[in-house]
Amino acid sequence: MNALAQTELLKLRTIRSPWLILSAAPLVIIAGISGIVTSSTRLHQAAAQSDAMAHIGLTSLFTLLFGITAVAGEYRHKTITDTYLSTPARGKVIAAKIGVYTTAGALSGVVTTLAGLVTAAAWWAGKGVPFSWSDSAMWTTIGGGIAWNAAFAAIGVGLGALVRNLVGAVALALAWVALVEGLVGQLIGNLARWLPFNAGQALGGAAKVHVTSGQLPRWGAGVVLVLYTIAFAAAAVTTSMRRDVA
Amino acid sequence: MTDVAIRGLTKRYGAVTAVEDLSFDVPAGQVTGFLGPNGAGKTTTLRMLLGLVQPSAGTALIGGEPYHKLAQPRAEVGAVLEATGFHPGRKGRDHLRVLARAAGLPAGRVAEVLERVGLTSAAGRRVGGYSLGMRQRLALAAALLGDPGLLILDEPGNGLDPAGMASLRELLRGLAAEGRTVLVSSHVLSEAAQTVDRVVIISSGRLRFSGPLTELADTSAVTVTSPQAGDLATVLKASGYEVEMAGNTTLQVQGAGTAKIGLLAAQEGIALSSLGEGPSALEQAFLRLTGGDGGPGASGISAFHTTKEPAK
Repeated sequence: MNALAQTELLKLRTIRSPWLILSAAPLVIIAGISGIVTSSTRLHQAAAQSDAMAHIGLTSLFTLLFGITAVAGEYRHKTITDTYLSTPARGKVIAAKIGVYTTAGALSGVVTTLAGLVTAAAWWAGKGVPFSWSDSAMWTTIGGGIAWNAAFAAIGVGLGALVRNLVGAVALALAWVALVEGLVGQLIGNLARWLPFNAGQALGGAAKVHVTSGQLPRWGAGVVLVLYTIAFAAAAVTTSMRRDVA
Repeated sequence: MTDVAIRGLTKRYGAVTAVEDLSFDVPAGQVTGFLGPNGAGKTTTLRMLLGLVQPSAGTALIGGEPYHKLAQPRAEVGAVLEATGFHPGRKGRDHLRVLARAAGLPAGRVAEVLERVGLTSAAGRRVGGYSLGMRQRLALAAALLGDPGLLILDEPGNGLDPAGMASLRELLRGLAAEGRTVLVSSHVLSEAAQTVDRVVIISSGRLRFSGPLTELADTSAVTVTSPQAGDLATVLKASGYEVEMAGNTTLQVQGAGTAKIGLLAAQEGIALSSLGEGPSALEQAFLRLTGGDGGPGASGISAFHTTKEPAK
């Protein structure tokens, strides 16, 4: 691992707030799966496990916020000055942050998965329904969910670097996910499936999403999210190179 | 030994020109005061020198190179900037460990600089609980981490109490004694006057003076009060000095020392009520050079003008 990535990792290890954001993910999935189980009587159906594991992808909201703190958090606390004084090659700093935060986002997805599997297996056993560890639809959903976690962490880094104002970037991200993407989606009809949150749902959603709501195929959604990630990263690097840090 | 060369440096923000065609040198191994009223463009100049702000025109070189070309920036330049911040949840020691890691410096340096600024006992605490003075010491520790030959301090006196000011002067002298080049900015001349070898004065983004401190004092005016001020003015003008009436009985005289003026007055039989360089000849020169209208805090005469709200 190069020195810049090690530095970013050390920065993360010496503060608590980003981890508090990520620690919400396993809690949410435990609640989400428990909710499905208590409100559903169809645990024996084939899609039930996949439905439960689709919650993993939804925790991408947390990796998105986590990613936003990477650069916008440094502006918030004015540590960005010292960061750029140490490493005047700003593009390399942003690239290292994207690398470290994407990895952390994926690992967060793995931890969330473990919490989800333990929760689900316990509920299934409690209800007397056999839990199928070889359910391939479930594992595909899990894989897509982890990839969605990783991609949104990277997009968060890019968004934070573009907006720089921490509160503004967080508000923008939440407004987009909760409101704007839905409104824009209605305006542009079928094109809405190309929008980032919809693409994420196609990547990490349960099997039925692809059938019922005209989403992109899982692999296609993965490609779309990778393209979004690259676009945000490129925009973040180019704007960070030129902007004055005052 | 690291020197600084600023040539034609200009920064425009839209229609506003913050720094205009600024050129000066900071010779190696000396303490240079970078002075000017608030809003004169000092911070912008320093941030351009450090590669944080892009100049609209001109160059700012450190040891002949722009900051971003320095092979090991932290080992050549240490900066304490007003806008430097800390994550409140990070411990003081960890802040320095991060910087040492980024600069590829040995981890042992962290303990050394903590010791030097007297923060060792507080290093395990989160910065959020630090006082202003402790934060400034931590910023200084960060600047010293790479043992740099050039130190840049932007308004280090802001918010310091008299004891803090005294230890700051002691520190600047110590750094200079170690052979480092020091560039220290201030909007209060008296803060710097006891420590600096040279001064660079800017106002409204333009250079007003650059040279040894002693030369600055020579440019200052002498204030004379006399019931026969008009007669005295005539005499002084006849002797080739620049005289300005500053009231019915008060004159500002350029180019003549107090001894010369007293002698001339005695020869002509003119009574003097007072004769002197005022509270500070340097302050007068400073005020004249900066136009004396740099907004609140520009005068710097009052000791209670020195504090500005610390950046949060």
